Amino acid sequence: MAKIMIVDDDPNIVTYLTDIFTDNGYQTCAASDGAKALELVKAERPDLITLDIEMPEEWGPRFYRKLAQDPELKRIPVVVVSGLAGNKYAIPKAVAALTKPFDPDELLGIVGSVLGR
Amino acid sequence: MGTKLLLVDDEDGIRTFLGISLADLGYEVLTAADGRQALEIFAAQRPPIVLTDIKMPGMDGIALLRRIKEQSPDTEVVMISGHADMDLAIKSLKFQAADFVTKPINNEVLEMALARVQEKIAMRAELRRHTENLERLVEEKSQRIVQLERQAAVGQVVESLSGAIRDIAGDIEDSAATLSDLPCFISIHNQYMEVVSTNALYRARLGEMTGRGSWEAYADVEPRDCPVGRTFRSGAGQRMEASVRTVLGERVPVLVHTAPIRGGDGEVELVLEITADLTAISRLQEELRATRAQYQLLFDEAPCFISVQDRQFRITAANRLFKEHFGSPGEGVRCHAVYAHRDEPCDKCPVARTFETGQSHQWETVVTSRTGKPYNVLLWTAPIRDASGAITEVMEMATDITQLRELQDHLASLGLMIGSMSHGIKGMLTALDGGVYRVESGFRNDDPGRVESGWATVKDMVSRIRSMVLQMLHYAKHRELNWAATDLGAFFESVARLVEPKAQKGGVAFVRSLPPGDLGSFEADATMLSAALVNLLENAVDACQDDTAKPRHAVTFGVRADETALTFTVADNGTGIDRETRERMFTLFFSSKGCKGTGLGLFVSDKTIRQHGGAISVDSEPGQGSTFTIRLPRVLPESAKTCSEGS
Repeated sequence: MAKIMIVDDDPNIVTYLTDIFTDNGYQTCAASDGAKALELVKAERPDLITLDIEMPEEWGPRFYRKLAQDPELKRIPVVVVSGLAGNKYAIPKAVAALTKPFDPDELLGIVGSVLGR
Repeated sequence: MGTKLLLVDDEDGIRTFLGISLADLGYEVLTAADGRQALEIFAAQRPPIVLTDIKMPGMDGIALLRRIKEQSPDTEVVMISGHADMDLAIKSLKFQAADFVTKPINNEVLEMALARVQEKIAMRAELRRHTENLERLVEEKSQRIVQLERQAAVGQVVESLSGAIRDIAGDIEDSAATLSDLPCFISIHNQYMEVVSTNALYRARLGEMTGRGSWEAYADVEPRDCPVGRTFRSGAGQRMEASVRTVLGERVPVLVHTAPIRGGDGEVELVLEITADLTAISRLQEELRATRAQYQLLFDEAPCFISVQDRQFRITAANRLFKEHFGSPGEGVRCHAVYAHRDEPCDKCPVARTFETGQSHQWETVVTSRTGKPYNVLLWTAPIRDASGAITEVMEMATDITQLRELQDHLASLGLMIGSMSHGIKGMLTALDGGVYRVESGFRNDDPGRVESGWATVKDMVSRIRSMVLQMLHYAKHRELNWAATDLGAFFESVARLVEPKAQKGGVAFVRSLPPGDLGSFEADATMLSAALVNLLENAVDACQDDTAKPRHAVTFGVRADETALTFTVADNGTGIDRETRERMFTLFFSSKGCKGTGLGLFVSDKTIRQHGGAISVDSEPGQGSTFTIRLPRVLPESAKTCSEGS
């Protein structure tokens, strides 16, 4: 079963994403900022990450830079889910960027095609 | 024949082989085996290029270079050096060597060095040609100027005329009236005291006098006493008052000026007479006075602060508005002392720049009035020149743009609000989607727990979105106070009841602190003030919930009152607030709450309290908790009742 890591500081949105993914047969784990996400990604080794951009403590782009420096972690695909306009420029290598509020079917479509289902 | 080149080297072989290469390049090669011989050949042949070895017995290459450059600075000397004496090669460049090539000599390198030298020589020759052309041009122009000077001498008549007009202008109380404005009768008279020529105004007012006696235009002047006669006798310009008779028979008082016009022998040949109508002059003076009064009025009534300053920035004149706001500047008071309360001129002083450049300059700055009120002003300067065109003073106009700046700040804040809030709203809408999704999936799977938690999210989001929208509306539109006499005890209790449930739900004790008995009433917009206090109390509850360091938390809501004023306190033992946050917390869109804050709450609370004539202060230590103190008058200030603060 594929595992998705959710990185977002808003617990309501973490719950929402967790609901969507578990209802569609994925495992999930979640972190509320970039620093915690980096620890979690090493422990959980997820198959895909959804990443918010603006968070307290450590923002999404910095987390991504650290992720990309690790040869084992940099292959994990990242989907940006953020309220910031122009967020597709924040992490150019992200496989997709969705703007909040997002369409859950679109998100599931992207995740499905990236994970080969 | 090729360019001459002197090759100096103590080695025969080099002289021979290098000589052949150079001849191949088209040079006429002269050779010398040492410095002394080289100087002899140089003196005789003057080659433009010298190629010399550095290391030679007797006079070495550098000494040779220096001697040649002394004799002929334009001669280009290229040095030949061994790899070992690179230092010498570089030293030679200091003595104006054109270049150096190293041994063993690479023909291509040598060729390039020589090509550069040739180019330099060609450029110098061209430059010399230009300079010579320039000299010739200057000479031609000088001749032309001399010619013009001669013509100018012929213009002596014009000179005298303008001199006389200047005198008249001086008489009309230093008015700068131009010739066309002057009501002058101009005439030219010959040695026989006959009128030779007159201007149009003369003919129109005094009639055709050409050919008649110079004195005839005057009402009662003897021929020998007339200004023209006096000028011929004395040889000097005259000035007198007299009366002329017009064609209509009127006597008109006039001021007469005359100027002698001399012939080539220095004798007075002609006399120019300029007669000004004094009645017209007094009318002009009257007009001038009126114009000046108008300017004074403009100066005084202009809706900006105007001052005139000399080179030491001393204010020599100031308009009414300036004096009202900054006081009447006394003798010698300087601009920077009045405007900025400082001893030195400002760095970007536009007055100084105008004195420097003669142009107008602008500068936006903040000045402080005598009551200490700051004004944002846009300064604009203009030079004031004397008759010779020199800048004697500078006028500075300061337009009060304080309101404009405030408006801009408001607009910028609105723009910022839209940007900052759209992010928050997007987050809330997404969370709302999440709640709806949870409710739906709960129904679908018949999971009441899921429905309930989803519904809680929906309710939470709806209330947050609602309060944000209300705050936005409050900020965007200024609300007048809808005030009434309010019972303090009842008001306090109503506020407490709004917050108490939230505190208890979050595990935070809610404590009321108020004196016993009737607290009396006060004037307030109860709805707005209640919202402001609820906001502070909810923040206090949040601060307690965010704090994990202490086992028990409490929010204390207190009130005290005396006859004229009342004080609310909101105290918590939560996370506390650091200094930077304390300084910025009442500004718009400052939030320390991450995704939960709108950045509007404290700004709106503060605004409401100030609108009530009150003040809010905060005392806090990080880790210890915070106390907000709100002081309000019992009776609203008149300004708060009629119209609102800030507008």
